[in-house]
Amino acid sequence: MRLTVNGEPRDLHSPPLTSLLTALREELEITSPKAGCHQGGCGACTVLVDGEARRSCLLPLAAVDGAAITTLEGLGTSDNLSSVQAAFDEHYAAQCGFCTSGFIMAATALIDRTPKASREDILTALSGHVCRCTGYIKIVSAVEAAAKGDVHPERVEPSFEPEEAEVLIPGSPA
Amino acid sequence: MKAVGARLPRYDGVAHVTGQTQYVDDIRIRGTLWTKALRSPHHNAAITRLDTSKAEALPGVHAVVTHKDVPHNVYGHLEALGIPADEPLLAVDEVRYKGQPIAAVAAVDEDTAREAVSLIEIEYEERPAFFDIRKAMDPDSPQIHQWGPVYPHFGSYNHRRVRKGDIDAAFEQADTIVEGVYRPQAIEHCPIEPQTALVVPEANGRLTIYSCTQAMYFSMGVVAAHLQWPLNKLKFVGGTVGGGFGGKVDTASETISALLALKAKRPVKWRWTREEEFLASSTRAPWHMELADAVTSDGWILGRRMTTLHDAGAYARFSPYGVTKHAFHHTGAYTIPNVHFDGFVVFTNRVPTTAMRGFGVTSVSFAVETHMNRIAEVLGIDPLQLRLKNANRIGDTTPNRVVLKDPSTVPVVLAAADRVGYDLPDEYKSMTNERRSGDLLPPHLVDQLGGSDASTNGGGR
Repeated sequence: MRLTVNGEPRDLHSPPLTSLLTALREELEITSPKAGCHQGGCGACTVLVDGEARRSCLLPLAAVDGAAITTLEGLGTSDNLSSVQAAFDEHYAAQCGFCTSGFIMAATALIDRTPKASREDILTALSGHVCRCTGYIKIVSAVEAAAKGDVHPERVEPSFEPEEAEVLIPGSPA
Repeated sequence: MKAVGARLPRYDGVAHVTGQTQYVDDIRIRGTLWTKALRSPHHNAAITRLDTSKAEALPGVHAVVTHKDVPHNVYGHLEALGIPADEPLLAVDEVRYKGQPIAAVAAVDEDTAREAVSLIEIEYEERPAFFDIRKAMDPDSPQIHQWGPVYPHFGSYNHRRVRKGDIDAAFEQADTIVEGVYRPQAIEHCPIEPQTALVVPEANGRLTIYSCTQAMYFSMGVVAAHLQWPLNKLKFVGGTVGGGFGGKVDTASETISALLALKAKRPVKWRWTREEEFLASSTRAPWHMELADAVTSDGWILGRRMTTLHDAGAYARFSPYGVTKHAFHHTGAYTIPNVHFDGFVVFTNRVPTTAMRGFGVTSVSFAVETHMNRIAEVLGIDPLQLRLKNANRIGDTTPNRVVLKDPSTVPVVLAAADRVGYDLPDEYKSMTNERRSGDLLPPHLVDQLGGSDASTNGGGR
């Protein structure tokens, strides 16, 4: 089977009924799609298949032969984040981070397709994704900001200077 | 304090949004074997036969472990705190909850491991299961735990008890008794990252253990105790947890993976399925709480009698600790001078229960706050005024006789009222957490006051 994964052609040798999730994680060692439930219930394994957000745990490799797959690794890099990635960071939309990859991929697919996505559109697009930490509000705010282009990819810098710790014994590490 | 109120970047934010954060399941070690466990299909049963030979003979299987492979099988999670051990790592001659691990297999891939588990020959004799904590003391209830129906080691008692003041006098003086029963149910933490461990035998004889635990040094101690190894032969790598909420405090996957890795002499990974998470990972406990408060018609709470039943599930684990915390909080954020509290840790055939976001305290807060509303309703008093009047103030003592130095109940209730536009009379709006005096120091609250000023603590002991 042959896929284009994050822009690179890749030949896969996993059996044809292997899930795309397992093939990505175990054969190609692309680990951003997560195995949260392996039954399509949590959304943590979401990747783009020809631009569409799909649950990679439910897709047999044979069903995606020839497709273009995009994972979180195929979006921005740490010094050049995509607008959705930057918005997630800026709005504190990731806590433990385990569901984040799936949310960002679903949001990316939405904004690519519907650049001026409304809050309703966002809620619909993210409705199948489970987050147990942040409680969704920050996630929805981040996607709204990304949809409006209200993103500031330059990192929010600490707005204070750390205080010098008092040195009690001269010469000792603080 | 310059960081408070400032917008600071998350130290792990960029790694999370670029997929660079490495959880246990993302670590790749060449030659890693997969693990599957044989788990009990019954809530309560004797194991009459266990034969793993066919599983061991299956090509691709590198190790099978049962209780016979565990150097120290019965170890308690809180043994270091003096709470004795009751739970086997792998079941010996009986199972007490559905999903309890009996044996585990390490094989070249997931399918082979699953097939090997299906080849383990086992026979059970089912026993009646017990779930209703209210019936724990009934003579005809099934006896499921070697210690009896409840955890018996709270000092010389079989329950956590708190006594303060003169409870009988409080109930004699009361205008009204307000009673309530509160029963919050079990909750599965359901972190998106399932329980996962990766154990790598190193050339120097040590084990490197990649763990999703919320409690690294605690888990290290538990693994070392089961293996009967010194701590310096274990290297724990962790701290990146894909959600836990208390559900990853119990050491659930590391020890069995370590035994398999040692036997197979290969790296071993064990990632639970979502089904296993729901079936066999610990949950928040169900509770049964009965309150009776002695109250006056003008809204003072003179005394509280409370009995709590906590569902520990099949083994003690952290439950005695949870009930102790629960006991300390049984008056909530309010000052009640006369109390009589009994808290029981009840054994059932549920999966063992554990910490979840305010272990032991969320349940009692739910009961206390709901009961405050009930008292207000019975007395025909405004529920916020009732709270503000009885709220903890500087110098008040808690049920376990700690003198409060800076309690926040009054400012928090006032701020909440303000935020939702809740109107209060001026004498309530101007309340503070200052030491009681005048109308706020009725006779029944005089003796409980501790310390002569806010700087003392422990004066009520």
